[in-house]
Amino acid sequence: MLSLLLWPLSSYAESFAAQIRSAKLIEAADGYNISAQIDYQLSPTAREALQKGIPLAWESLIKISSSGWLWDTTIYSQKLAYILRFNALLNQYEVQNPRGEEEMFLSLNAALNYMAGLPDAPSIDKHLLSHGGNYRLAVKTDFNREFLPVPLRPLAYLDAQWFLSSDWFVCPIQK
Amino acid sequence: MVSIQRLVCMPYSKIKLPASVSIIILFGFVLLSLQLMSSATQESSQLGEMYSALLVINTLGSIILFGLVAVNAYSLVRELQKKAAGSRLTTRMVSLFVLLALAPAAIVFYFSVQFLHQGIDSWFNVEIDRAMDDALELSQSSLAQRMNWHIKQTRQMAAQLQDKSESMIALEIGALWNDSGALEIAVFSNQGHILASSSANPSEILPHLPDEQIWLQLRQNQQYFAYDPSDKDEMLARVILPIQRDQSRYLQVLNPVPVRVTDLADSIEFAFTRYQEMTFLRDSLKTSFSLILLLVLLLSMLAAIWVAFISIRNIVAPVKELVKGTQAVADGDYLQQLPVTNQDDLGFLVESFNQMTRRIARSRDETRSAGLEVENQRAYLETILANLTAGVISFDAAFTIRTANQAAYRILHIPVSHFVGQNLATLAGKHVELADMLATIQHLLERADDIWEQRIVFLGPNGRQELLCRGTPLFMQDGSRTGAVVVFDDVTDLIQAQKNAAWGEVARRLAHEIKNPLTPIQLSAERLQHKLAKELNDSSAEFLQRATRTIVQQVEAMKQMVDDFSEYARPSKKQVEKINLIDLIQEILALYAPTGIIFTTAFPTTHVIVEVDAVSIRQVLHNLIKNALEATSTQCQIDVKISKVLRNTVDYVELGLYDYGCGLNAEQIETIFEPYVTTKSKGTGLGLAIVKKIVEEHGGAIWVDKSYNSGAGFVMQLPVYEFGKS
Repeated sequence: MLSLLLWPLSSYAESFAAQIRSAKLIEAADGYNISAQIDYQLSPTAREALQKGIPLAWESLIKISSSGWLWDTTIYSQKLAYILRFNALLNQYEVQNPRGEEEMFLSLNAALNYMAGLPDAPSIDKHLLSHGGNYRLAVKTDFNREFLPVPLRPLAYLDAQWFLSSDWFVCPIQK
Repeated sequence: MVSIQRLVCMPYSKIKLPASVSIIILFGFVLLSLQLMSSATQESSQLGEMYSALLVINTLGSIILFGLVAVNAYSLVRELQKKAAGSRLTTRMVSLFVLLALAPAAIVFYFSVQFLHQGIDSWFNVEIDRAMDDALELSQSSLAQRMNWHIKQTRQMAAQLQDKSESMIALEIGALWNDSGALEIAVFSNQGHILASSSANPSEILPHLPDEQIWLQLRQNQQYFAYDPSDKDEMLARVILPIQRDQSRYLQVLNPVPVRVTDLADSIEFAFTRYQEMTFLRDSLKTSFSLILLLVLLLSMLAAIWVAFISIRNIVAPVKELVKGTQAVADGDYLQQLPVTNQDDLGFLVESFNQMTRRIARSRDETRSAGLEVENQRAYLETILANLTAGVISFDAAFTIRTANQAAYRILHIPVSHFVGQNLATLAGKHVELADMLATIQHLLERADDIWEQRIVFLGPNGRQELLCRGTPLFMQDGSRTGAVVVFDDVTDLIQAQKNAAWGEVARRLAHEIKNPLTPIQLSAERLQHKLAKELNDSSAEFLQRATRTIVQQVEAMKQMVDDFSEYARPSKKQVEKINLIDLIQEILALYAPTGIIFTTAFPTTHVIVEVDAVSIRQVLHNLIKNALEATSTQCQIDVKISKVLRNTVDYVELGLYDYGCGLNAEQIETIFEPYVTTKSKGTGLGLAIVKKIVEEHGGAIWVDKSYNSGAGFVMQLPVYEFGKS
């Protein structure tokens, strides 16, 4: 019983959480583009599940908030869903982007690299950020356990092998 | 009472859901929740998204139910520790229910899990594994072979276009497309600019250009070939090869894969993926199904146990009320009436209990009134017994004293508390002076089978006492002895009065029959002396003189004796007055000072007022002192002591006179106060009899102190008016 209770904690020693290396806004002609670098780390169990045909889903969250006196106000929020699955016949990795389009990749790294840059993030309206304001960009990627097959879900909430979500990455935006 | 209870309970029962409905609703919720969760495990179910929430809800439900069961169990344990009414029956019923419900459920659960695991395991075996792998490999080989053919064909087309100008390529590419049967042929520069293209679909102006990923691989490998899924659920074989050796131009050929091949490949891929997924989820499936089964078991069992607690409490409630009611009846509360909530067997039992308590209460009231009547009778009898002059003592079968009245104490001079619970032998041990009398009564009680009567004489603290005892043995209806009653009366005074009367009669007769003839006898003797003295010679005259003198002297003595006796027998005429007894004693002792008697006095006070006839008491003291003087030598010593005693709530002054003479033996002590009883050669024997008569006429008593052994000791008690106040 004790080992059952401590099981998630013992597995937690080795973390497989995604890490957001960088995130920033890049000014473009029609607005701002988001440039991010997310380091997805698949645990052996998650990697095995993927190889066995189980699709894995992440939701990347993008928030821009303005600092206020008492609390911050979210002025922009975007959710980008990515689904990664393995095609055994073609021996390729398929990424379904937020628009529902499927991209095929010959290697897992290529597929993860595609998702890492948030290439499908829409550009942000230039007028959303006023000059001189204090803004913060927050990026996070959540592993969607509810997308897993039903029998795997309870375990995914307890086993650190399935703790693949990242923490919030927050950086200030100076205008 | 019952109707009132029903009226009180009516509104609450109307607004409260019946327990059976609540139980059905609870089980409905449990079943619905479990059914939803079971449905959610189905792959195709719309409830799949709710699976985790349902799992949490059911787990929470289990925890809540477990908490409810735990609270109920804890409450039951507390009731057991307090030995509350009905707690043991509830525990027994709940334990039985849990045992009966849990055992089959656990067995079903165990075998269900076993069957489930075996069923899941049966889905997988090595042959299917190998078949799936082989099918996939076959598909992959087929596609690879097709891809190799497309590469070869593309390489030939690229060779034809080699070293040709862009315009020539644009002219020839149509012919190539016609010959190849490809879906689309395109030539583009290494910068991605389209140089020429030809497509089967004239609506598509622009060819399917490679994306960044393809470009990346193309730059790395100088060639690219792969199957791409198209938008129309078709598969395309994309082959890109360089045309020029300097890799400034690339040829891309898109070949369609036949629909049948695509379908077959998709089918194999889907089956393989599905099988792989199931293989991976094998343990998770077991765990998940086991978890659901466990939740089903837990929820069902906990709900059933909780409902069992409620139901059993409802069932036991009347029994609990009955136990409380019985305890109340055992404690004497016969007005206990229990509410009849149900018209079932328990309701009938409760109604019977109420009838029983009503009857008991009625019987109790009747018994109480009868008891009161008996108690009044007993008190009346006790009052009569207490006011009897005769002593009454009752004994049980073992001759232990059960009751004794105040008169017994007064006669025997033993406190009542010493009587009850004692037997006569024990009482005799504590009161030695009564030992003979008590032994006699004990003997009579043991021997007598019928009413007996006997006079018993004993020497009490106040001297000789004579009791007239009557004993009656008590028998049960079956003839067994249950005890005895002894009634005794102190007839000492009565006997004394009879004796005094007899002596008075004797004195009167003596005076009449003896004293009257004495004077003629005396005169006749004196006349004989006077007449014959002159006629007789000297010797005869002297004889006559001696004889007549003797006659005269004896007649005088007889007269004196008759006078003394008359005085003893004559009723006294007392002149009662309050005097200081100490002064009187001092005065009398002073008269004896010249005789050389040594008086040792011990007076705690000089003020002892008694209401007596001073002349009579003076005579008493003279008689006692003279008596002591005659019993001892001339130089004698007499101790005089005064003290105060309380007898029967009356204060007495106790005067003791102790000499150092020869003392009295037991027989003398018993008869010393009788008339004509004397130890002296001279004397009428009336001195102490007169003393006793005078003392008793004053309401006092006199006796010989038997504990004094240095001589004779007389103790006299007189009622005292004042002792030592002034």
